[in-house]
This record gives sequence, C-alpha cells and structure tokens, in this order.
Amino acid sequence: MPPEPLTATFYHLPPPKSFRTVCTLRTLVKSGTIPAIIPNLMPKITVDGKLVEAKDRQMILQACLDGNINLPYYCYHPGLSIVASCRICLVEVEGIPKLVPSCQTPVRDGMVVHTRGTKVIANQKQVMEYLLVNHPLDCPVCDQAGECFLQDYSYQFGRSQSRFEEDKAKKPKKDVGKNIVLYNDRCIMCTRCVRFTREVSGQCELYVDGRGHREEIDVFPGRPLDNQLSGNVADLCPVGALLDKDFLFKQRVWLLKQVPSISPVDAGGENIFLEQNEGVVWRVKPRYNPDVNTWWISDDTRYSYKVIQSKSRLTQAMRTQYGAQVETSYGKAIDDAVVGLKAATTESGAGSLYALLSPMMACEEAYLLAKAIRAIDPNALLVSGPAPTTGEDQVFKHYMTHKETFRIKAEKVPNAAGIRRVLGLLGGPTATWDEFTTATRDDIKNLKAGWIVGNYLSSWLPANLPAPLKKGFRVLQDILPSDFAGKADILLPSSCWAETDGTWENHAGKIQPYAAAVPVPEGVLRAGDVYYTMLNRPGLYNAQAIRQEMGKMFTSVQLPSDKEAAPAFDFVEL
Amino acid sequence: MKDSDILILEEPHLSLGDQFYLPQVLKGLGTTMKHMLKVLGGTDRVIQYPEERREDMPVEDGGMLLQTYRGVHRLNKDEEGRPKCVACFMCSTACPARCIHIEAAESPWDDREKYPQKFDIDELRCIYCGMCEEACPCDAIELTHEYDIVGLTRQEMIFDKAKLLKIYDETVKDEPM
Repeated sequence: MPPEPLTATFYHLPPPKSFRTVCTLRTLVKSGTIPAIIPNLMPKITVDGKLVEAKDRQMILQACLDGNINLPYYCYHPGLSIVASCRICLVEVEGIPKLVPSCQTPVRDGMVVHTRGTKVIANQKQVMEYLLVNHPLDCPVCDQAGECFLQDYSYQFGRSQSRFEEDKAKKPKKDVGKNIVLYNDRCIMCTRCVRFTREVSGQCELYVDGRGHREEIDVFPGRPLDNQLSGNVADLCPVGALLDKDFLFKQRVWLLKQVPSISPVDAGGENIFLEQNEGVVWRVKPRYNPDVNTWWISDDTRYSYKVIQSKSRLTQAMRTQYGAQVETSYGKAIDDAVVGLKAATTESGAGSLYALLSPMMACEEAYLLAKAIRAIDPNALLVSGPAPTTGEDQVFKHYMTHKETFRIKAEKVPNAAGIRRVLGLLGGPTATWDEFTTATRDDIKNLKAGWIVGNYLSSWLPANLPAPLKKGFRVLQDILPSDFAGKADILLPSSCWAETDGTWENHAGKIQPYAAAVPVPEGVLRAGDVYYTMLNRPGLYNAQAIRQEMGKMFTSVQLPSDKEAAPAFDFVEL
Repeated sequence: MKDSDILILEEPHLSLGDQFYLPQVLKGLGTTMKHMLKVLGGTDRVIQYPEERREDMPVEDGGMLLQTYRGVHRLNKDEEGRPKCVACFMCSTACPARCIHIEAAESPWDDREKYPQKFDIDELRCIYCGMCEEACPCDAIELTHEYDIVGLTRQEMIFDKAKLLKIYDETVKDEPM
C-alpha cells in the first residue's frame, strides 16, 4: 500500500517544530524508511446531521460540494483565490457565535455545520434581496437566463416581489474587449472576472472602479480585454454581466444540448463541450479536466466551432475527367478512387501508394485508412501530415507569483502524437511530412498514387505543392476548398471532428475521446464510413469497436459518463 | 415485446344481408334521409357557411362565443409601431407543437436590447393551445379570433413577422390589446 500523505494527520499531533520537520517526515515516509504508522485521519465534519469527509485544509464549501451537499455561492471559484465577498454562502458553525463564510473557513475535525438554520436562510434571503435591488428585470433578453446563478437562487430564496420603490440605478453597457461585452447593471460584483484576469490570464485588464454603490467592473483606458483566455470571463460570470459577443442573442441556453468533445486547435487537447441545437453548434464551453485544461479554454478553441458551419465547406464529390473536375456521386467517387489506386499498384508494383494521414483525423480513422491502403498495396507508405506550429507555447502566469497557470501549445493540430502512435502500431514503411516534402528518399520518389487527408481548420498546403503531391493519381479528402482540392483526381468532401466519434492524443500522451455533436452536411460521408466501404466492412463506422481492435492503449478509452462530463459549474437544486 | 402484448383483432363476421351490400347501402341512405327530414321538420339546421357564421348566432342556437375562440396569432405593436416582441424565445420554448421559429438580433432601437429578426409561425403545425400567449412576458404574441385562414401551399401557411404584424393592424380595432 502506498504511504498515505502525512499532512492530514497534523491536526491530531502536536504541531511540528519547523517546516523542515514536516519535510523530513514526509521524505522518510515516501522513501519507506519509516512506515506510515499514523493512520490518515481525514477531517470529518457534520453538515446538517450528515457526516462529510473532507480533505485536509479544505474549505467548508468545497467539502460540502464534494459531499453532494449544495450551498449557494457567487464569488467562490475553485480555480481562483477566495475573497468571500458575496456573503451568500454563510453558514452556522457550532461554537462560533456569528455566521461564517463557508468558502473561506477551513474544516476542522468534528466541526458541526448547519446550512439550513433560520439564521442562514435569513441571510440568504437578505443577500438575494440586496443583490436584486439594482438588478434589472431583463431576464427575457439576457443571454445568461437559464444558466444564471442569480435567477436560480432568486427562485429558491428570493421573494417574488421587490420592496425597493425607488428607481433602479442604471449603469452603462460597456464594450470591454474583442470578444466580451459587459452589462454593468447586471453585475453583482463577485469579482471573479477581475481575479481571473489577474490570477490566470495574468494580464490584469479588468479592475473594480469606484466603491459602494458606485462600484463597477471596468477596463483601463486603451487596454481592452484582449488575450487568448478572454472568453473565459463570460463562462466565469455567475450572472449575465459579461457575455460572449459571438453568442450574444443567438440562442437561449436551455435549448442547447452539450456533447463532450476535444479542442481541435492545438496539441493541448483542451476538453470542451460542443453545444448544439437542431444540428447547429452554437458555442463551445470548457469541460473541467484537472489533468488537461482545468476550467479554462483558449479563445481559439472557443471559436473553432465556426468551421463546422462554414459556408465554404466542401459538399460535392468530384472526379477528374479529361483534365477537368466533374461532379459525381459519393459512392462512384469512392469506387473510382479504389480503381485508380489499384491500377497504380498493378502498374508499378508494391510500394507505389501512400496515405497522408492528417493530424486532424481521429486515431481510429487513421488506423482504418492505413488498413484500407495497405489492403490495396501491402507496402504502401504512411505519411504523417504537416503539423504547423507557431514556434513557442503561449504561457499564462499569475500576475504576482508568476506561476504558470495555463499553456496554449505551439503545435496547432490536435492529433500529431496520435498519428505517430498509429503509424508505430501498424509498422511498415512510414515517413514524416518533412521527409515526404523533400522527397530525397527513393521510396518517396517512386510514389505513384496516394490518398491525402486534409481536414485542417484553415488552408494547410503551401502554394508551391511538395513534389510527391504534384504527380500521379491523387485522392483528396478535405473539408475546405483549396487550390489542391481543385486539382485532385478524386475529391471527397469529408467530415470534421464535430461530426464523428473518435480519439485524439494530446502532446502529453493523453488519449481523449470525443463524440459526434452534429450530423454531417448534405452530400458528405463520414470519413470512417468511407474507409468501411473501402474495407468492405459491414455496418457503419463505430469508433468504440475500432478502438477494441487497435489494442491496449485504446481499448480502455471511453467517453465520459454524463456525471463525469458535468459542466465545471452546474447549478444543482439545493 | 412479448406475445401477450399483441392484441389480435378479428374481422367482424358478415351476415348474409351484409354480404349482399345493397341492404346496407339502403340503411346508410336511411340515415341521410332521417337528417334531411329533421332539417325540413325544423329540429335540425344547416349553417350556410360562409354566408352564415356561427359567431353571428346566439349560443343557445348553436352559435359560438368568439371572445374565447383561439384563432390565428398576431404580433402586437407598441405605441411607436414597433413589434413589442423582444425575442426571448419563451413562446417557442412553451410551444408543444414546436411551430414557432425565431431568429433574434440586436435591436436597432436604444430602449431595448433584442428584437426578432425573423419570427415564423407554422399555422398548420400549430394546435392553437394558447401557450405562447401565456408564456409571453411582454404581451407581444396574442391569439386573435380569426379562424378562416386559407392558403394554397404549406409554405403560404408559415406566417412570417410581416404577416403577423399585419394581422395586428387588421384585428386591433375589434380586439384592442
């Protein structure tokens, strides 16, 4: 059994003499020199008569939330520092005469907490009434309605009518940045956004201006909220004060259905939800994953969904006839492609085919395509597609401690590692993109025909095509039009990541699955189904079945269950 | 599904008279004659729609109360002639027939945030339950008492914003907001 962490026990031991003692003890236990003989006493607290096991030095609020006891809160956020300014989470602790903020009070073993006492409920009612004094009644036009903490808590402990007879203070609507708009009159001054710009994005664009009833969130003149994490403040905002301009007025949130997915913009593999209604993705929200992206996503990820509904998406299968492309049916195009590839193999022998596996493909799709190509030509060359990079990771730091808080990877494709893994899995001749483009290797020079997959979110091929792509019989599967798409012998419009199931491996080797959120556009066949047709497999593309086939790293990969995939901040009925 | 869940219905047995058809035809004609005689005798009556309308008759004589009738929708206008609707999607959310389609946009006016760029009601899908009217937070959508709406195509029966606002102009005199 691994030794238990020692820190938890110090509440029951005389305090250690110095920090060094703690370190020594911990090292000794870790190294196994002394056994962890002291039982690990996790502090246990009683909340409303229910025993809750907390972690060491955890706050009451977080312990309650972990133990499925729900307390209202606005300013608290597990990813930010604690300010205890909203005062709605106040609870009664036995032995303390006044109410204490549960978000800021650490647990102590044997603590008895009451969250439904008269004093607590009276406080919640008062806080609600006070917050609503100047809050405009514009829920019908507010985008936050439906996921608004203020709305939910008001429904639970608010009063249906306001006792405030004077006119409400009207504060201006402000344009705080490229992606974010601020409705100051809806703000409840929880300062989550201010803390975020300081502690996570580290750029300190937002600040609190004024005091008391004149208090407002604002940006400094000439310094708008404009960084790669700016969209997160709209997610953070518990009310409708900070809203995403991109999503503004588009849909009501209760109409949206969330589908767990992965960010397609970089190798970081940020966990996201695609939120769709009637087959249209309307926005992207972060999905909490402590190992990858915690609560945040980059703005590139947030607006990456636009390519799914892009008007310029390829939707017509084409084939080249007498030097010009003509429209054809999808089934015919696949048949022609297979015939062309087979002809090249019989003409020039084994080793004349290649498959360009794009790092935008799912591992399963890459595996299937490689199988399909190798079924035609057992010596076919597998090339990993280009992985554009911006050079350096973008790192965000805490504004004071300079500790790294978020990293946007420089590699701007989601699955380069996964493609490498699939190539390793299959063995046989492989080449990197650089080897392929320079074409100095003999086997690359002798290539006659190939299957090329694009699926990039923007144009991906250089204007001057690499030599092997200029000649021979070329089948292209892509989502966006390009010069090359107009020249390919067979053009197959493809599905993008939001339309199929699959897995991507991020830079850290974490294999993460994603699910189809929307159907493919009219005239497009899912890439997996194309490969199924080529391999004469019965049925439709089934990512889970392919993963079973691919072996040990992939078999255990499964989509998060509904409970695990719960949003980072979900309102739970109290 | 289990076999016990299947209900097998037997066709009704045809008697000799049924198999000849003619007696049954005459029986059916008899029912028609009975009603004709009732009309002639004054106990039944035929309403010559559209010259005669039920709303013009007293309720006790088979007429109807138009005040409680739920007919075609209208989009109300405010004092300045703008649609009152703020595109909150409450009606389309409440609609059990899913016949209301709204596209919202930022309003061109200063005093409100949002307005409906598109507001389509599929009057063929609509079941005229009046839930949209109840859900509306700003009394923008109302059911009028007009029931004789016609169209030659299905497309024609999808009423857009302009048409719904026009219905308001036409009905506002009889049914003030």
